[in-house]
Amino acid sequence: MSVSVIGGPKRESDLKIPGTEVRKIEKDLYEVFIGPQHPGSGHMRIIIRVDGDVIVEADPDMGYVHRTMEKLGEIRQYIKNIPLFERMAIQDACNVTVPYVLALEKILDIEPPQRAKYLRSLLCEINRIAAHLYGFGIFGVFIGHSTMYMWAFADREVMVELAEKLTGARLTHSYPIPGGARRDMPQDFPQAARKAARYMRRRLEEYRKIFLDNPVMKARMEGVGYIPKKLAAELGVVGPVARASGIKYDARYNDPYDAYDEVDFEIPVFEEGDALARAWVKVEEIKQSLRIIEQAVDWLESHTSEAPIHDKFWAKSPPLWKKVFEKEGRVKLLPMMATMKIPPGKAFARGETARGEIVYYVESTGDSIPYRVRIVSPSARNAIVFKYVVPGHRVMDLPTIYGSIDYFPPEADR
Amino acid sequence: MSLVEVLASIVFYPPIYQLVIVGLIVTLGVVIIILWFERKATARVQRRLGPYHVAPKLAGMPQLLADLLRYAFQEIIIPRTVDRGVFITAPIIATVLSILPIAVVPFTSIPDYWPIPMDYSVLVALAISTVSPIFLVLAGWASNNKFSIIGGVREAFIITAYELIAILSILSVSAATLSFNFIDIVNAQMNTAWFIILNPIAFMAAFLAVLMSTSGFPFEIPESENEVVAGPFTEYSGILYGLNMGAAYMKRFAFSIILAVAFLGGWSPLTPGEGILYGYLLPSIVVIIKAFILMMVFSFLRSVYGRYRLDQALQGAWRLVFPMALIGFGIGIIEAYLGLT
Repeated sequence: MSVSVIGGPKRESDLKIPGTEVRKIEKDLYEVFIGPQHPGSGHMRIIIRVDGDVIVEADPDMGYVHRTMEKLGEIRQYIKNIPLFERMAIQDACNVTVPYVLALEKILDIEPPQRAKYLRSLLCEINRIAAHLYGFGIFGVFIGHSTMYMWAFADREVMVELAEKLTGARLTHSYPIPGGARRDMPQDFPQAARKAARYMRRRLEEYRKIFLDNPVMKARMEGVGYIPKKLAAELGVVGPVARASGIKYDARYNDPYDAYDEVDFEIPVFEEGDALARAWVKVEEIKQSLRIIEQAVDWLESHTSEAPIHDKFWAKSPPLWKKVFEKEGRVKLLPMMATMKIPPGKAFARGETARGEIVYYVESTGDSIPYRVRIVSPSARNAIVFKYVVPGHRVMDLPTIYGSIDYFPPEADR
Repeated sequence: MSLVEVLASIVFYPPIYQLVIVGLIVTLGVVIIILWFERKATARVQRRLGPYHVAPKLAGMPQLLADLLRYAFQEIIIPRTVDRGVFITAPIIATVLSILPIAVVPFTSIPDYWPIPMDYSVLVALAISTVSPIFLVLAGWASNNKFSIIGGVREAFIITAYELIAILSILSVSAATLSFNFIDIVNAQMNTAWFIILNPIAFMAAFLAVLMSTSGFPFEIPESENEVVAGPFTEYSGILYGLNMGAAYMKRFAFSIILAVAFLGGWSPLTPGEGILYGYLLPSIVVIIKAFILMMVFSFLRSVYGRYRLDQALQGAWRLVFPMALIGFGIGIIEAYLGLT
């Protein structure tokens, strides 16, 4: 009796549809497709070949959430690209858009006022903490620790609400614009920020107790996904992954932008290079971000309020715009900005998101839409870890490595 | 004989009472309550509310009944590629076998109320408990799915690791009392002290073995969601999936009853007296309450631990818990030699 599957291949020659070719694998190997419809894969597929319980080959198959960000960027006005690029990493909205804005400012040859710089850095650090907590939560649930998942996602709410207080939106704030920021800090923000920082420091101690120093979790993370310093440099990984392997590289430190050359903070670097070190890097970075938030809030409080936007735009604003700013602290977007033409030129800018360095290259031909926007996102650079670090580990180590490098498919696929 | 007496004689006819009343109805009730407790306790640790929407006054308890009904009436999808006969029968047999040990565990010392009077009840209970995992492996194998097969193989690895530990550590009680009969074991505990105090190492080993056998955290490895989706149960749906998931809890309850009788003194503070009420019902309630407390401890571990890696769990079982079980057995023999029990 022959079994026919509806819609399936009937003869062997029908199997030659692209992507469905029959591939030969070595004897005694077992090929498992993890994803894209899998609770532990995210928006991607990892094809692993296992010998017993040991992975001998891993093949990350990316691109399931490719949204043509770069191409869409070429058909929209400059300012409309900001809400678009935010969608790469929703929890990290300010960090992924600031370098784009920096590139535009380079072409326009303007320098935002100091207050705007501090405001942007403030939101960047709030976003960084939120993104790290998000990553922590996913990491926790990947290795079976549901309490870490729930705690991290609940505490992320504190940061999201702080961002809402500052910008008016919980996520996708569209906060930085060429020449400044969209809104000034509300009156009661400093107290809320300091309270959140105190709360977060207390919670980090609890995280250490239940997750990082938990013997079961430590056994799962220690020595897993070890990336030596040399290999990390060769693979070109960025962000916490590189810093956990002993590479002191951080765009905020190596190429300071906005207020980062004025505030005092450290770059936590660990030498171990395993999943545990990557988790610790995130914890230490959250602590440093809290320091930056407090310093930024102090600075903003001690300096008089002014419109956080460059005079080139502010001077042209009608009186109503100024009235709105005095009343609500909100910088009403100038209509001219929406169709703003940017002089011909090329610019390159980089910034540090929670997951690593993001790079923008913007080319303008003098039109109101960019000629080319090239984005290199940190997750795309870290995805190579799957190919070169996963083999040799056990199947149950795959989620540990995945969670520890905090790979975020929407950001990598752009 | 009045109607009540007739009913009582039917309900408390030992095979019916232990197999139907305790084995099915109480077990189902305990599983539902323990699932609710697990959700609520985990939610409390994780600073959430847990089940709430269905009857907030009952703290969301009927939510579990709703879940049960959903499983009961959901369509059972049987893929074409599976081995139909085994696919359907494996979870059913596994569930039945996982609650069957309750049938041979006595709940009282009165001979009239033993379902099957025998001198080897410890051995028989342990023997029955070792059969059900085979059907989980079979369920995984019959599913013809890569994740199911990996899950089934993991289950098989775990079986080899915990089975010997469970048997050895529970038999240490027999070694101490020189008897395979649960009645003698409980009587010995009533004369001296509970075996959890006399032989804590064996109890710890047995506790860990039960945790491993029922996929409790931190040993929730065969069903580990992030690599093997739902392990051996990936292809299951509807009531068959519910049976698979419930079987682990039912097995945990059966094991908890064995542990309660073997280590926690059985019906200990109570001396079974005359009549059904004092001779059968109350002692059995004491045993069930002790088993329930054990179940709560098992459930609470979910909110504290993640899961071990497979090789770490096996290593821990063979290198740490197995020697523990051997030491526990040795302690049992020494106690018997010294005449402590």
